[in-house]
Amino acid sequence: MNTVVSAPTETPEAPRQRSRLATLRDSPTFERCLSPFAFLLIFCGYALWTGDTFVSIPGRTLDIHLSVPILVLGLSVLVTLACGEFDLSIGSMATLTTFFAVGLRVESGWSFWLVLAVCIAMGIVGGLVNGWLVVKVRVNAFIATLGTGGVMLGLSNVYGGGTTINPSPDGPQLPGWFSGQNSLGDFAAKAPSWLVWISLAAIGAWIAVALVRARPARFSQQTWYAIAAGICVVAVVVLFTFVDITEWVDQMSWLIAVLAILAAICWVLMNLTTFGRHLYATGSNADAARLAGVPVSRQTIKAFVLGGVLAAISGILLASSQGSAAQGAATGYLLPAFAAAFLSTVIFSRGQFRVWGTIFGGIFLVWVNQGLAGAGVPFTWSQVINGAVLILAVSMATVLRPRKN
Amino acid sequence: MTDTAQTDQPQQSPGSAALEIVELKKSFGANRVLHGVSLSIRAGELVGLMGPNGAGKSTLVKILDGVYAADSGEIRIAGERVASLADRADVGFIHQDLGLIDTFSVAENLRLGEPKVRLAGPILAHSRERELAKEALDRVSLDLDPRTIVGELSPGEKTLVGIARALQHGAQILIIDEATSTLSPRDAGRLLDTLRTLTNEGAAVVMISHKLSEILDATNRIVVLIDGEITTDEPRAGLNLSDLAQRLLQQDEVATEKSGRESAVGAALLTLEGVRSGQCGPLDLDLHSGEVIGVTGLAGSGLHDLAYLAAGVLEPEAGRVVLADRTQRSFVPPHRETQGGFSLLSVRENMTISALSRWREKGLLRLGKEGRDALGMIDRVAVAPPDPNYLFGALSGGNKQKVIFGRVMFTDAKVFVLCEPTRGVDVKTRRELYGIIARLRDEGAGVLVVTSDVEDLSAVCDRVGVIRGGQLGSLRPLEAIQPSELEELV
Repeated sequence: MNTVVSAPTETPEAPRQRSRLATLRDSPTFERCLSPFAFLLIFCGYALWTGDTFVSIPGRTLDIHLSVPILVLGLSVLVTLACGEFDLSIGSMATLTTFFAVGLRVESGWSFWLVLAVCIAMGIVGGLVNGWLVVKVRVNAFIATLGTGGVMLGLSNVYGGGTTINPSPDGPQLPGWFSGQNSLGDFAAKAPSWLVWISLAAIGAWIAVALVRARPARFSQQTWYAIAAGICVVAVVVLFTFVDITEWVDQMSWLIAVLAILAAICWVLMNLTTFGRHLYATGSNADAARLAGVPVSRQTIKAFVLGGVLAAISGILLASSQGSAAQGAATGYLLPAFAAAFLSTVIFSRGQFRVWGTIFGGIFLVWVNQGLAGAGVPFTWSQVINGAVLILAVSMATVLRPRKN
Repeated sequence: MTDTAQTDQPQQSPGSAALEIVELKKSFGANRVLHGVSLSIRAGELVGLMGPNGAGKSTLVKILDGVYAADSGEIRIAGERVASLADRADVGFIHQDLGLIDTFSVAENLRLGEPKVRLAGPILAHSRERELAKEALDRVSLDLDPRTIVGELSPGEKTLVGIARALQHGAQILIIDEATSTLSPRDAGRLLDTLRTLTNEGAAVVMISHKLSEILDATNRIVVLIDGEITTDEPRAGLNLSDLAQRLLQQDEVATEKSGRESAVGAALLTLEGVRSGQCGPLDLDLHSGEVIGVTGLAGSGLHDLAYLAAGVLEPEAGRVVLADRTQRSFVPPHRETQGGFSLLSVRENMTISALSRWREKGLLRLGKEGRDALGMIDRVAVAPPDPNYLFGALSGGNKQKVIFGRVMFTDAKVFVLCEPTRGVDVKTRRELYGIIARLRDEGAGVLVVTSDVEDLSAVCDRVGVIRGGQLGSLRPLEAIQPSELEELV
């Protein structure tokens, strides 16, 4: 950090005058702030419009709780999108594991840990098949995963006999910690608040360090410390007054905690490992990645496998919150999952698919829907809104993104 | 190629110029590319435009084609001022990329952009279309069934179809931009014959080429552009081969980075033994520690294949590519824009992608250390702006190339294969890159520079070879190479 000298003195291609607005628009900071700002705007807008019905912290955390399977599916989509591929089979994969998670336990009476292992194995196999088709057989990913998705959905119907699988009162039950009252899938089962506080403190400290390190060249070290400290104080005050962080923490269910852990694992994989860097490189330019020594084929297959496993977990979590397996349970989650991943290219990012962006993008979508429902728009409109918000957000980002050349 | 060309001097009326360029100037930032270029071309003239890489030829063509706007100056057609020649029916541009659709037939390609020939309502009159296509093909003396699929044609036939299409639109002025460089000699000969016939019929043709013999053979006037200025504009009749080579080679003194010493050459690091691939080979080559080998040749002569083979990207069909024990190699690919980097990733991520294990501890990447090292490398290869988190895609071409150099320097490679390392970079960057190559050599690496730019050879290479028709000549110091061997490559 200490060797960064102030602005470059002679860049050959920038003598032309630029308007202040264009300079602001092109700055990465602006880009990163824009979407969180839009987020805030939506929230405030709804708060003003619908009043108390929207600004209900238990209500909004319940939204997140209910959409955890969608958000995990979003992570699954993200992994394959990051390496430039498509996986349309994940909704069917999640449906399949929902059926098997419930069915193998309540109908076949298997040990539940074995059931979980089988479901994860299904995710691995599904991902391997997709990856093999795309990388080795060179089938277009769109077609390949559309096909495997059809097979998986069909298998779930075959297994379920075309109907919903419900635990019968006298047969084997799903474990008490997994489904039912006060279990993983129940919103009433809250994660211990000390755990949440510790995690939040860690994240806060990490952001603060990152902020201190991101000193723009025009500020001296001391000034920047003062500014960073100021920002931190304001942030803490805002969190404890306007946002009412204690109330949010109290409402964190176990399912949301699981989501946070999965997202953290994905973040580490995507940002702190060679695997993740290779995926982003492949997604940005597969040819260049290959020439730079990235094992493109192997990493792409791994991405499909990771995507498959995340989809399988999504299905298991769905089984946990529903306690049963309905036909095509997770197929409707495909669009919002893709929407969340694509929103991440606009949130906190310069056109890349990012983990936290996907989570926040997904939550954003759910809240937009809930806000409208709260304002009296019938719930049947939710898909229309999902689609429209996605197009709006991504086109806004395209319009605002600095033009190359 | 025949020698009849010189006798076919233009017999058309020497009236006003068909195409006139007046004092065209263009700069990119501080980089002045064209310093007031003036040129006037009459109907019936076949003008050869030559110049070394980076002289401004492609900028000139792009201004004519409307891709760039000139900073000042005028373009006139038949005395009338125009903004650019793009989308004019009376001007045809023939680029290497002809814009033909490979899966369509010749007739279908020739109909694109033309008024529809209807049989009734929306139904097209195919037989009439074919007749029209046949007429167009006759003008370029191409004897082809118009139903042939374009993808099945030879490159030369495709070029002729491209010309036929321009003529059919009514082109009187043709600008042929490097269209012969990928053609076989036979196809190139056909193309030149056609161009001569067309000029005799009253067309004005500007032909841009690197091949001295072709230009001497076909044209009746030769223009040389060097560093954005026209240094030669003379009738063909007054020039012979060595004159022309001389005029092309006079350019700015370039700082050479040759080692003064001859002794430091060490053990062999990379050996190619009778390697064959496609039309290329057998190739034999020894690259030693502490030397820079330069190989040049025409595009399409197997030049880039040699680089791919040496870099291990392409598997040889026969023969062996042997890398010394515990030696890694690293590759700078020829097409920076499509093969070079990751435009959505940062400069840091672009630099470190080939050597990530350097920053991996217990399976996790140390981003802080990575960032600091990237900053150090940015300093070493002089990337502007010096910001590891700058978006790679937003850098200028020369800086992108420096980042890619940084990437290969991060690897533990002892063998560096650099393909077209200075393509499209400005003079300053070029010198910096030569400096980097020289430093790699002085640190004991073996560097193979595969380039179509002869300047690279004189600047930094210790031994030089020419690849022609897939065959690599013997490697000699540059001074030992006859100018005539390089003439076709200037």
